[in-house]
Amino acid sequence: MNESALTLAAISSGYNESIVIRNVSLEIKSGEILALVGKNGMGKTTLLKSIMGFLPKRSGSISIFGKDVTRLSAHQVSRTKIAYAPQERALFHELSIRDNLRLGLSRDSLFDEHFYEIESIFPFLKSRMAQRAGTLSGGEQKMLLVARALMVKPDLILIDEITEGLQPSVIDRVATALTHQRVTHGTAILFVEQNVPFAVSVADRYAVLKLGEIIDVGACSNSDAQENIMRHLSV
Amino acid sequence: MTKSNIEDCSARQGGAMRSLRPLAGITIFSLVLVGVAPSLLDTYLLNTLIRSFCFALAALTVDILWGYTGILTFGQSAFFGIGAYAAGLVFTQMGFSTSHAWLAFGIAVAAAITVALLVGWLSFYQGATPLYASVISLVLPIVMTQLLFSGGEFTGSSSGLTGYSTPDISLESWFWVAGSALVLVTSVAWMFVQSDAGRVLKGIRDNESRCEYLGINPSLIKISLLVGAAVIASVAGFGYASFSGVVAPELAGFVFGTEMIIWVALGGRGTLIGPVLGTIFIETMSSYLGGSLPFLWKLLVGVGFVLVIIFLPKGLIPLAFKLRRYLPKALIPGKNSTPKLVALDAPRLTSIARTIPAMHLAGVAKNFGSLQVLQGIDIIAYPGELVSLVGPNGAGKTTLMRCMSDGAERTSGTVEINGYDIKRLPAYRCVGYGIGRKFQTANVFESLTVAECLRIARTRIERPSAIWREDTLALPAYALAVIKATELDQKLSEVCHDLSHGEQQALELAMVLALEPQVILLDEPTAGLTKSERTKIGRILIELSEDYGLCCLLVEHDLDFVCEISTKVVVLHQGKIVMQGTVEEVIQSELVQSVYAGSPMHRESDTKVKIGERA
Repeated sequence: MNESALTLAAISSGYNESIVIRNVSLEIKSGEILALVGKNGMGKTTLLKSIMGFLPKRSGSISIFGKDVTRLSAHQVSRTKIAYAPQERALFHELSIRDNLRLGLSRDSLFDEHFYEIESIFPFLKSRMAQRAGTLSGGEQKMLLVARALMVKPDLILIDEITEGLQPSVIDRVATALTHQRVTHGTAILFVEQNVPFAVSVADRYAVLKLGEIIDVGACSNSDAQENIMRHLSV
Repeated sequence: MTKSNIEDCSARQGGAMRSLRPLAGITIFSLVLVGVAPSLLDTYLLNTLIRSFCFALAALTVDILWGYTGILTFGQSAFFGIGAYAAGLVFTQMGFSTSHAWLAFGIAVAAAITVALLVGWLSFYQGATPLYASVISLVLPIVMTQLLFSGGEFTGSSSGLTGYSTPDISLESWFWVAGSALVLVTSVAWMFVQSDAGRVLKGIRDNESRCEYLGINPSLIKISLLVGAAVIASVAGFGYASFSGVVAPELAGFVFGTEMIIWVALGGRGTLIGPVLGTIFIETMSSYLGGSLPFLWKLLVGVGFVLVIIFLPKGLIPLAFKLRRYLPKALIPGKNSTPKLVALDAPRLTSIARTIPAMHLAGVAKNFGSLQVLQGIDIIAYPGELVSLVGPNGAGKTTLMRCMSDGAERTSGTVEINGYDIKRLPAYRCVGYGIGRKFQTANVFESLTVAECLRIARTRIERPSAIWREDTLALPAYALAVIKATELDQKLSEVCHDLSHGEQQALELAMVLALEPQVILLDEPTAGLTKSERTKIGRILIELSEDYGLCCLLVEHDLDFVCEISTKVVVLHQGKIVMQGTVEEVIQSELVQSVYAGSPMHRESDTKVKIGERA
């Protein structure tokens, strides 16, 4: 439980000339859920992309379960038991639902075993395995993204704004699924969220990102956590 | 701080004219250079340069089509060939005289227009993919050369036409004519692509469907552009044939068409000046080195091309721009000052207009093959109404919006917007009836700035200038309010690609509002926005409907947001309307509570759902 799942040490990164993330340090323990909140354009997605190796790091270091991944590229980072559900619907639109889910697995024979738990969270997937992912509605694509991330039974998941475009009852189900995932598999989760009540109810801790810097970190169990975050977001 | 941005628009054209000044300076300087060059250069070099000027003119059109509008074309050589053969054939058959020269010129232009219209229509009809246009552009020069080969003695077949009489003017005069034509056409083209109208080309390259939903007809623009480019290329070919006295089928061939792409890519696509200088440089080098090292030279150009593609994907000229700090500020392209935002008084709705339904759907259905996605949808809403469309993911909400904004989408049923039947009209025509659509995922112009996106959104209402860029950006007050509420007014000159997801969403909403629609379809307008931004957007939407009489149909999952702003709620489930009524009736209903709502724990307000605030 106390092993470090993800350690960011004084990370700075950005696009071309502009630096978006400034000197961010953060640690997530194994089995811990951390919500990253902040206003638009503060660098939340950029931070996730930097961890995943899509963006080069200016300085600092990143390690996942003790392994230094600072200089690794995205496909190498992906092999470290990490899963990423990006915000934009990054699915293979021409492939079926099943093929989308299957891609992260090394063998097809693993499919049923890995899908077993996901089936109860997103039941619609089971009956529509052969449907092309591109024909799913926006919300359904979001669910498929999360399902795909869970398929590889990762030890660390990065999720970008999962509640966006989901109907409220599905949000409940996702919340249950994430907490369940942590309990049964000890998965560490870092998620970016705009829906503060969702963030507070699911996460153990929150971190507020402002202009690329972490300006506040706190426990979600504190009674004033939600109020605190709201204050940061409205300034 | 926003005050300083929003100032009265005085002297707006003064500033726009000022931005043309550096261009005028460079043009005059280049003309002077062309004027003195013949007295400094030897005959061989002059000959080579005149030829390369003709090629550069054709390459320029490739850059406008490919670099700016995103149409990869191998076919400009065909138009070059049309012009060249117009001159060659007329002069061979009829001999040279001034009147014959005009005749040949007329044929060159007319034939180019005819062929370009045909090719344009084939390549850019509704729904043709960009790849298809490229394939057609590849076929065109092949057909062209085949025609020339099979023309027997008339076209000179594979050996072309030689020895016809050409205008008897000095080499210096030829140089001046070709040189100044190149300088002037380049300047005009530069002015055009940098102007507000030129931005629309980049808009088409980035996101054609967004253009259509802003009321712009991309097919028409692309066909017109192709016709213009064809005429320039044809005139260049005409000049080449008149000067050299030789035409050959290769001039119309696809090898030449591909060479032009190489020149453009090497020089720097999307820079105009890069392709022109690239062409002149490579052509001149070829004529010196090609003779002594024929094979090695081609190999060198090939290797150079590969190296540039790998290491300098934007070509050589942009590399030079990287040294911009050493250049005077005015010469830096695309870095014009951010326009000032100006609020427009949007027309408020009179009570009379409220009697016509803003949207009227009757029996709308949509099938994907045998799958019925929508069935029997009937909705009536009047101006000033804010209708929320709720329903589980996959219920068909987005499909319904698509059917309302593009006449070709629905399988059956009628859709009337402001009393107009949209029939089977394409999206850009529906916009003309007053409908604006915001997509579910942010749909903006990735490589353009915030200000440019908003400018393109205004295209339908304010015809953009083809000469300059306006210093001011006039937007309806409510569009401006969205910009300010999300602090996008601080980021007007930032490129959309660098905006966060939520900012892109807000920008798209502002772009749709800039259209001054009477009916707006908003697919999750607040997705990715913070609670406080959402509240602000909600207030703007209420103001829109109450003060300006806009009719909104919005898809939202945030039930608190729905309750705060809607006058009516429609519940869509498995493609059918299962319920519609006031907020109170619908949200409290057992159906919605059980199927859809979920626990209040994850909602964004501590209070219970506030019912009936607006009902």
